[in-house]
Amino acid sequence: MNWQIHLPALLIAVPLLGAFAAPAFANRRLRDVWFTVMIAATTVIAFLLWRRVGAEGIVVYVMGGENWHLTLPSGMRLPIRIIMEVDAFSAFMALSGSIVSFAGAIFSLRFLDRTTGGEKFVALYFLLTAGMLGMETTGDLFNFFVFLEIASVASYGLIAFWRNTPEAIEASFKYMLLSTIAALMVLIGVGILYGRYGALNMAAIAKSMQLGLPEKVALALFVAALAMKCGAVPLHMWVPDAYSQAPAGISCFLVSVSQASLYGLFRISFSVYGRALDTPAVAWIIIVFGILSMFIAVVMAVIQKEVKRLMAYHAVSQTGYMLLGVGVGLLALAHPQAMSEYGFTAMQGGIFHIINHAMYKGLLFLTAGSIFYASGTLDLNRLGGLARNMPYTTVMFVVSAAAIAGLPPVNGFVSKLLVYESSFAVHPILTVMALVTSILTLASFVKVFQSAFLGPARARFSEVREVPRSMLVGMTVLLVAILWLSFMPTWSLSRLVGPAAQALVDQAGYIEAVMGSGL
Amino acid sequence: MMLGTVQSGFGYWNVYAWIIFFALAAALVFYFRSAGRSDYKAGTYQDEIFYGGNPVPKDGDEIAVPASSAYWGFTEALSPFYKLLLSLHTGIASDYVGYLVVTTALISALIVL
Repeated sequence: MNWQIHLPALLIAVPLLGAFAAPAFANRRLRDVWFTVMIAATTVIAFLLWRRVGAEGIVVYVMGGENWHLTLPSGMRLPIRIIMEVDAFSAFMALSGSIVSFAGAIFSLRFLDRTTGGEKFVALYFLLTAGMLGMETTGDLFNFFVFLEIASVASYGLIAFWRNTPEAIEASFKYMLLSTIAALMVLIGVGILYGRYGALNMAAIAKSMQLGLPEKVALALFVAALAMKCGAVPLHMWVPDAYSQAPAGISCFLVSVSQASLYGLFRISFSVYGRALDTPAVAWIIIVFGILSMFIAVVMAVIQKEVKRLMAYHAVSQTGYMLLGVGVGLLALAHPQAMSEYGFTAMQGGIFHIINHAMYKGLLFLTAGSIFYASGTLDLNRLGGLARNMPYTTVMFVVSAAAIAGLPPVNGFVSKLLVYESSFAVHPILTVMALVTSILTLASFVKVFQSAFLGPARARFSEVREVPRSMLVGMTVLLVAILWLSFMPTWSLSRLVGPAAQALVDQAGYIEAVMGSGL
Repeated sequence: MMLGTVQSGFGYWNVYAWIIFFALAAALVFYFRSAGRSDYKAGTYQDEIFYGGNPVPKDGDEIAVPASSAYWGFTEALSPFYKLLLSLHTGIASDYVGYLVVTTALISALIVL
């Protein structure tokens, strides 16, 4: 039997095994080996799954049985059991997230030498990975909620990992408070749909979906909760606190974990509701979230004086591009001509920006971690002249800063170009806001580069040296990914992004994979 | 499809054209640099930093512009806007919950009505 049919289950099982066995590794060397091997295995599985989905189409996997249909006496067939449905969009997200997870883990190895409780860190890191990948591959709304909670609970612990600093505890508490409310909103939304359709499977609900008041209420709850979880303005307030207080490897990974909530928002909007949406309100809500996130967050970033806090605001701002791109796609969903003229390009831009952002923002957080590791501060007023002491970190920062600012020829430019041009077809003001955001992004990263890396040498940093090799390896993983996406844009669009965008648009295909027939 | 060319539906963009452009620009930069004088006397006043005729301070802190002074004009011009934004970012958890509740209510009204 081909073991690769179990890839969806292994994608969750391997990090879960990593998590539950981690507390047994009190020895640092063994713990590091376990951490590296299991996270590498998870990344390889995600890659194999992405390749399989690319070759064979949607992969449906049933936990605990081969048949997932329950036939009622009335003849009606319902999908039961835990069903994982991995289409090209799910596989794309899992691949992107697992690469960032791998880089963050390798980077964190030396960080952990400076603290106690490293095995707890590793256990929570694997739980976070399992939660994120579960959210991105499940075909079941309730399981989505369960994985969302697994990821959230692991995040609370990791954000507060520097538990001797009150700011970290406070950041974790705020995130926990908001996340709990958001999770309850998701649960209520799932409950409403279960009450209406007697099913939890997304494809089954989508097949029967008739937009009435309960469905609209459920959708509103999903949109608000998942917008909060992905850090859209005005629900972004937890992001600067959480990202700036978490260890750097976690801040890097949290970018991808937040994108899993973005995935949930898009999956529910396109695959569960999709063509049943008889109003452009949802698309416009997502577009407005995008515009607000882009502009407000970047304006706030310009005035920040702490490196990771500044980067956290940029994480919110860049999420705006994804919301704008995919929101424009959702607006065009019911109009085939609009979809072919600009909607699909916008979706490609938004989805391409997901992986671009995961890579360059992950790398930016790791460079911030390197600065802190080497100099002991992230205060831009105190930093300066570090390019002399940390040449590799400087190069990593320059490339990732150019990417986030959308400077050609780096990858951020391509995805932004697609978003600019397609959103212009909806309204020029959308493009203007996106362009202004990009300029301000460049301005704030010029500030970071000038303040931290350039300028005269500071006496207090005369002993600062480049970070250990394993941290450089972690950063190099993301640097290579950025360069690959930059120099292979046609491959990225045709093999990675295009199929993911197509899968998201193809609601009938998503339903058919589980239900046997489409809409 | 031309290698490296991204078709956006409205135009196109080629990454390799940009790389060639940057390579040419870098070659020019190195050419200009190599055309500079190399017969200066190292370790004399000829390779010292000119600091308005004054001695250069030993610690870079004394001659660096702090990051908080960056874009002063921009932030000053937008100070009313920044005042509003900063007043919303209170750091108080109950305020954040309030934003979530109000936003959810707004979204519900827009979708349901």
